[in-house]
Amino acid sequence: MTIKDKIAVQIDDLTVAYNYKPVLWDIDLAIPEGVLMAIVGPNGAGKSTLIKSILDIIKPIAGSVQIYGKAYKKQRSLVAYVPQKGSVDWDFPTTALDVVMMGTYGSLGWIKRPGQKQKKAALEALEKVGMLAFKNRQISQLSGGQQQRIFLARALVQNASIYFMDEPFQGVDATTEKAIINILKELRKAGKTVIVVHHDLQTVPEYFDWVTFLNVKKIATGPVKDIFNDDNLTKTYGINYKVSIQQ
Amino acid sequence: MSSAQIEIQLIASLVAIACAIPGTFLVLRKMALITDAISHSILPGIVIGFFITHDLSSPLLIIMAAASGVLTVVLVEFIQKTGLVKEDTAIGLVFPALFSIGIILIAKNANDVHLDVDAVLLGELAFAPFDRLNVGDTDLGPKSLWIIGSILIITLSLLIAFFKELKISTFDAGLASALGLSPVVMHYGLMTVSSITTVGAFDAVGAILVIALMIAPAAIAYLLTNDLKKMLVLAILFGVGSAIAGYWVAHILDASISGSMTTVLGLLFLLVYLFAPERGLFSVLYRQRQQRIEVLLLTFLLHLRNHKEEEERHVKHLNEHINWQKVRSKSVLDLAIKNNMITIDSDIVSLTKKGKKFTTKALDYIITNKNSEIENMKDRFFLFRG
Amino acid sequence: MNLQEYIELVFNDYTLRTITLGTAVLGAICGMLGSFAVLRKQSLLGDAISHAALPGIAIAFLIIETKNSSIFLLGALVSGLIGTFWIRGITQKTHLKSDTALGLILSLFFGFGMLLLTYIQKMPNANQAGLESYLFGQAATLLESDVWLMVIVTGISLIVLLLFWKELKLLLFDADYTKTLGFNTKFLDILITSFIVIAIVLGLQTVGVVLMSAMLLAPAAAARQWTNNLAVMVVLAAIFGTFSGIFGTAISASQNNLSTGPVIVLVAGVFVLFSFIFSPGRGLLFREIRFRKNRNDLQLHKTLSFMYNIAKTHEDVSHPHAIRILNNFQGFTRKSLQKLEDKDYIKIQGNMWSMTKEGYYTAANLYNQLIKEDE
Repeated sequence: MTIKDKIAVQIDDLTVAYNYKPVLWDIDLAIPEGVLMAIVGPNGAGKSTLIKSILDIIKPIAGSVQIYGKAYKKQRSLVAYVPQKGSVDWDFPTTALDVVMMGTYGSLGWIKRPGQKQKKAALEALEKVGMLAFKNRQISQLSGGQQQRIFLARALVQNASIYFMDEPFQGVDATTEKAIINILKELRKAGKTVIVVHHDLQTVPEYFDWVTFLNVKKIATGPVKDIFNDDNLTKTYGINYKVSIQQ
Repeated sequence: MSSAQIEIQLIASLVAIACAIPGTFLVLRKMALITDAISHSILPGIVIGFFITHDLSSPLLIIMAAASGVLTVVLVEFIQKTGLVKEDTAIGLVFPALFSIGIILIAKNANDVHLDVDAVLLGELAFAPFDRLNVGDTDLGPKSLWIIGSILIITLSLLIAFFKELKISTFDAGLASALGLSPVVMHYGLMTVSSITTVGAFDAVGAILVIALMIAPAAIAYLLTNDLKKMLVLAILFGVGSAIAGYWVAHILDASISGSMTTVLGLLFLLVYLFAPERGLFSVLYRQRQQRIEVLLLTFLLHLRNHKEEEERHVKHLNEHINWQKVRSKSVLDLAIKNNMITIDSDIVSLTKKGKKFTTKALDYIITNKNSEIENMKDRFFLFRG
Repeated sequence: MNLQEYIELVFNDYTLRTITLGTAVLGAICGMLGSFAVLRKQSLLGDAISHAALPGIAIAFLIIETKNSSIFLLGALVSGLIGTFWIRGITQKTHLKSDTALGLILSLFFGFGMLLLTYIQKMPNANQAGLESYLFGQAATLLESDVWLMVIVTGISLIVLLLFWKELKLLLFDADYTKTLGFNTKFLDILITSFIVIAIVLGLQTVGVVLMSAMLLAPAAAARQWTNNLAVMVVLAAIFGTFSGIFGTAISASQNNLSTGPVIVLVAGVFVLFSFIFSPGRGLLFREIRFRKNRNDLQLHKTLSFMYNIAKTHEDVSHPHAIRILNNFQGFTRKSLQKLEDKDYIKIQGNMWSMTKEGYYTAANLYNQLIKEDE
C-alpha cells in the first residue's frame, strides 16, 4: 500500500480526562483518507474515548481535532457514527426503519421532518445491510446481530466520508460479522475512511489495512502489514503477546 | 421544661434512632426510594388494622401495616421482573395505588373511623403525651414511647446480632452468598424492619416525614465518612440532634413539629452538602480546579518530553497547538516554573532534570493504570499545588 | 343516578363540568409528557418534584397573602425546578446515588413545606388560602380560569412536542448520537424536563402532591404495553389519562365522601393492570399462552425428531413402525401423536405409525430452523 497523501482526520496533542483522571495522553494521530483502520488496545485503554472526543461528545482538556483541515463542528456532515450497541435502550418504542431514518436527521437540521426522499434513502440502507424484510420490526424483537446492522444502516444513510464505529462486532453472529466487514470494505473501495474500535486481534490482518495501537498513549499507527507485530502488541498489552499473523 | 415536653423530645429522639439504623443500610444499598413507597403504602394496612381493632396503638395495626409494606416490596419486585416497565416506574405505580386505596377506605368509613389522613401523613407529636399506657392505676408513660421503644430495641438487637452479615451483604453481595448468607433473607429482613419502623414512627412524625428521618441522617453521614460504624453513629447523632432542635423550632414558631424536624435536617444537609471536608460541594469544586490545572501541567510536561523539536516547545505553541486559552497556558507555565519542572530560554521551554524524572514516573503509572499513584507522586514532587 | 342523568348533569352543572373538563385536560397533558418521563427513566423524578413544589406554594402565599392559584403555580414551578436541579447537583457532585438524592429532596422540601403550611394556618387570613387542598388535591376547588390555564399549557406543550418531535425522539433513544448530528442536547434536555415539571405543577391542585407522580406514570406505563410506536404511545397515554380523569370524576361525584384524586389514580391503575395482563404483544396473559404453546411445540418437535431418527434408518421413509417402540421415549403421548397426525406429519394405522414425506422434510429442517432463529 502506498502512503496516502490526503489526511482525513488530524489529531494533535489530544489529552482527555474523566473527572480529572487521565484517560488519553498527548495523542498525535494522522489518519489518511481511504483507510480501513482498527483501533486496538486493552480494556480501559481509551479507545471509545478517543472516538468520542474526536466527535466532540467528550470535551478534551487539551489538543485539537481536524476533519479534512477544519474543526469538527464545521465538518459534521462528513462524519457518521455507530455507537456501541449497549449504549441505547433497545426496548424503546420504535421500528427498525425509524431508527435508520434517524441518520437523516442531521442533514435535515432543526424542526424539518423527514419526507419521501429520506425514507427512500433509509430503505436503501436497510437493503444494503440485508434488513429490508425487518423494516417494521420493533427493535427489541431483533437479534443482537440485526440490531448492529440497523445501527450500521443508520450510519450509511448519513452518506458521510468518514465512519467511526465503536465495537461493531461485539455480540454479533458470524454471518453478520461477515456482512458488516463486506460493507466496510465496500466503503473503503468507494474512497471512504472507516475507523473501527476493535477487540478481536486475530481478525485484524484479515479485515483491516491500517491499525492504531492505543493504551492511554498512542503506541503505534500505520499499515497493518508493517506494524502489526509482536513487538507493538507487547508494548500495547503489557505482556508478551503472540499472535499468528497470516499474511 | 414540662414533663410533656421532655416526653415529646424523648419520643422524637427514639424515632430518629429507630429510623437512622435501617436508613443507613437502605442508603448504602441504593434502595432509599423503597422507604418512599413503604411509607405511603402502609396506609391501607393501618386502615384495615384499625377497622378490626378500633385502636390506633394496637399491635395488630403494626403487623398489618408491616405486612402491607412487605407486600409493596413484593409487588414492586414482581412488576420489575415482568420487564414490562423500567424499574423505577414499578415503584411509582405501586405505592400511589395502595395509598389511594387507603384514602378511599378512610373516606368511605369516615363516620365510624376516627382516623385522619392528615394525622397519618403528617403525624402529631404534640398529642403523643396525652395517650398514656395505664396498668391498673399506674401510669407507665405515653403509649407511643412504649411502641417506638420496643421497635428500637428489636432493631438494635437485630443490628448487633447480624451486624457482620448486614455489612457483608451490603458491600459485597457476591461474597455474602458465597459465605452462605442468603441475600433474599437479608433483603426481606431489612424490608420488614423498615416497614415496622415506618409504622411505629407514623403517628409520631407522619408517614411522609419518616422518609426524611430514614434517608437524610444517613445521607449526611455518608458525606462525612465511609466507615459503616461511624456512619451509623453519625446518622443517629444527626437524627437525634435535629429531632430535639426541630422540637424547639416548632415551639418557637408554633408550627408542626415534624415539619420543623425535617427543616432542621434539611438545613443540616445543606450545610454538609456545601462544606463537608472531602465530599462537600466546595471542596469538590476546589479539588477539581486543582486537579484540572495539575492535569494540564502533566499534559504539558509530557508534551515537552514527547517532542524534542524546538518549534513544538515554543511558548506560542501552547496557545496554537495545544488549543489553550492564554490565561490557562500562563497559569500552567507559572506552576511548572514554581515547581522547578521547566526552564524557559528565549521562549523555548525545556524540561529540567526534575521535570524529566517526574514525567518518566508519571508515564509509568499512567500506562499501568495506577492513577492513584499519581496523587502520591504529586505530593512528593510538588512544592506548590495548583 | 343513572348514566344519562349523570351526562346531563355534566353539561348543566357548572362545578361538575369544570371538574370533568379540568381532570380530562390534566389527564391528557400528564399522559403526553409522562411518556417522556417514563422513557427517560425519570419516573420517580415526578414524585420528587411534586413534593418539592409544596414550599413554593406556601412561600407564594406568604408573599401575596391571598389565594391566587396562578401565583401559587408559579411558586410551585420555581421550587419544583430548584428541586430538580438540586437533585442533579447532588448526583453529579457527590457520591450519593440518585435514589438517595430523590428521597432527600422529596422529603426535605416537603417537610419544609409542612412547616410553612402549619405556620400559615395560625395566621389570621389562613382560611382563604386553601393550601391543604394541595396535599391530596381537591378537584372541587377548580375554577374555569384554572381549566383555561390547563388548556393553554397543554396546547403549548403539544405545539412544542410537534415542533421538536424528531429531536426529542432522537434524544430519548440515543443522546450521544444526537450530539454528533449537531443538535444541542442540553437545550432539548432542559426543554423536556421543564415541561414535565410544568405538567406536574399543574396537577397539584387537582390530584395533590402525594399522588401526582402516579398521574404522570400510569397512563404512559399502560400505553407502552399496546404499541411499539412512540407517537401512538404518546397519543394513547393522553387518551388513557383523559379517560382516567373523566371516569375518576364521575365515580367520585356519584358517591359520598370520595375525593377525586385517589379515584382518578385508581382508575389509571386499573388501566395499567388491564394493559399489563391483556395487551396482545407484551401482556402477561398472552406471554403465558405463547410460552405454553412453545413448550407444546417443543414437545411435538422432540417426538417428531425421535421418529425421524427411526425412519431415517429405512430406505423408504414412510415405512410403518410399531408405536410400541416409542415407549422408550419420554415425550410421547397419545395426544401428541394425534396432533402430529392432524398436521399430516405422520400416519397412524392400528398400532403402527409411518412418516409422511412432509413430516420427514419438516423434521429434517427442524435443526436448521433452530439455528436460524438463534441468529
